[in-house]
Amino acid sequence: MKILVVDKNKCTGCHQCELWCGTEIASVSKELYQAIREEPHPIPRVYVEGKDFALQCRHCEEAPCIEACPNGTMRRDPETGLVYVNEPTCIACWMCVMVCPFGIINPSASMKVAIKCDRCRHMGYPICAEVCPTQAIKLEERKDYRTKAF
Amino acid sequence: MRYVIIGGSAAAISAIEAIRSIDRESQIELFSDEATPLFSRVLLPYYIAEELSKPLLNFRSSDFFEQNKITSHLGVRIKEISSESNTVTAENGEAYPFDKLLLATGGNPIIPPIQGIQKEGISTLKTMADAEKIYQWKGKRAVVIGAGSVGVESCISLRKRGMEVTLLEQLGHVLPTVFDEEAASMIQKRIEDLGIKTVTGEKAIQFSGNGHVESVVTESREIKCEMVVLAVGVKPAIELAKKVGIEIGSLEGIKVNAEMMTNVQDIYSAGDVAETFDITRESSWINAIWPCAVEQGRVAGLNMAGKKTLYIGSFRRNSIGNFIGVPAISMGLTRAETCSTCEAGESFQEIKRRTKDAYKKLIIKKGRLAGVILVGQTQKAGLYQILLKKQIDVSEYIPVLMSRNLNFMDILPLIRRNADRFTETEYKEIMDTGL
Repeated sequence: MKILVVDKNKCTGCHQCELWCGTEIASVSKELYQAIREEPHPIPRVYVEGKDFALQCRHCEEAPCIEACPNGTMRRDPETGLVYVNEPTCIACWMCVMVCPFGIINPSASMKVAIKCDRCRHMGYPICAEVCPTQAIKLEERKDYRTKAF
Repeated sequence: MRYVIIGGSAAAISAIEAIRSIDRESQIELFSDEATPLFSRVLLPYYIAEELSKPLLNFRSSDFFEQNKITSHLGVRIKEISSESNTVTAENGEAYPFDKLLLATGGNPIIPPIQGIQKEGISTLKTMADAEKIYQWKGKRAVVIGAGSVGVESCISLRKRGMEVTLLEQLGHVLPTVFDEEAASMIQKRIEDLGIKTVTGEKAIQFSGNGHVESVVTESREIKCEMVVLAVGVKPAIELAKKVGIEIGSLEGIKVNAEMMTNVQDIYSAGDVAETFDITRESSWINAIWPCAVEQGRVAGLNMAGKKTLYIGSFRRNSIGNFIGVPAISMGLTRAETCSTCEAGESFQEIKRRTKDAYKKLIIKKGRLAGVILVGQTQKAGLYQILLKKQIDVSEYIPVLMSRNLNFMDILPLIRRNADRFTETEYKEIMDTGL
């Protein structure tokens, strides 16, 4: 399956991915100038970690969030393998938040749902990769890193 | 291969999924004493509160058994297991053969020996029938005995239905096995703000009333009520296992090895009934929580289907979500003293930080996380969870872990350094970030 990969050398920490994910995916208005003033504030699904590394849900093959979810709200799309939150059934218990090894699930107090990246599964191409000015975020086939020496 | 699963909750369903990931065809028979399949026990308080209707309590879709080619026997109790003929016998006398058997029988709610406990209007909350009964109860005043997760959620659900509720806990604070005193006081304040009366450090000694309960009597007071929910805990349902000679642990749970197999060949166990190695306590323990049941069920299922897999060990994890209204997560040990296995002289630290609405505490044992409590800010809880689960040495990273801006990048060097502690898939996932 394809996943989002970030080239650390190219990430400038410009936060464009956060800005446009928040606008395109999370906001009601879909217009940046309005989205920025929306209440509750739109929550982006991608985080620029440290100074310069964009991180979003990894759609783990063995996903602890799916295992921890007590009512099947966190699920995997059988066709694409993408992990997503079925928001209408989320009871905001934050079990998924507790076990995500990347810390990328947002327990939204205002929305009362767990918010995370679904890799724009209903769109043609992930918005963060599309807007990245240096193309640091790319959609690539999952590799087997275990073969590498480290 | 013929698989038989006794139990129908988290561990059982997880085991089925694991078996089916390897073996699509073999016969799997599931026996559950619950007539309603696939509902999530931990959500019963949400049902009582009218926040979730019955279909929304399900943790798998209603066609799960069909999709996975499971022959389900719902509402059917198994009365006997024979390890000589490898059969299980249902209450109606019918016998079913197995090659691999899973005991995921869960726990039975503890009924404390209190005078008058058989009166009407007193119930535990474990089964769907219990939830329906409590939901139907008429009355204005309720007492919940026991302030564990089930107790606290029960009293909130009754409060949300407009009842006058008293929460009675014999230990010093609410959620005594989940949080330390400091965190519990923050949560207790929230419970009280909801209009629930909490009484701690007091024990119920009698239920009064003529046929139907009318009050709960403690050493120092009498609390009038029309209903009582008993939530003093569960104990493993080991009756079947005991009869067939399966080894029972010192905590009265079914003893299993790292493959989740009991001392009897081809009989496995997982979930609330199983006694496993607790990595934070470094001893045998029963962690009767959802994530452990799912993890253990998966390991058992994989081994039953022939794929040798070892269980890393269990540890407690609890999250208080929106239902109670304070974001709070706790894992592993809650206080340094509970670490009875720690020898004198071993380095042992508790690091705390408290602000007005937030609290963070780390318990460090031999340089590794043995317990974490977070109240308020919880989004990064999973970072602590992975470090604790993998027992990674964090002694040089304490300031980072206590920082408000902790993020994945900060712990990545630690994960890389301890790559050998991760399974291939887990590690691949982490490296797939592009780092």
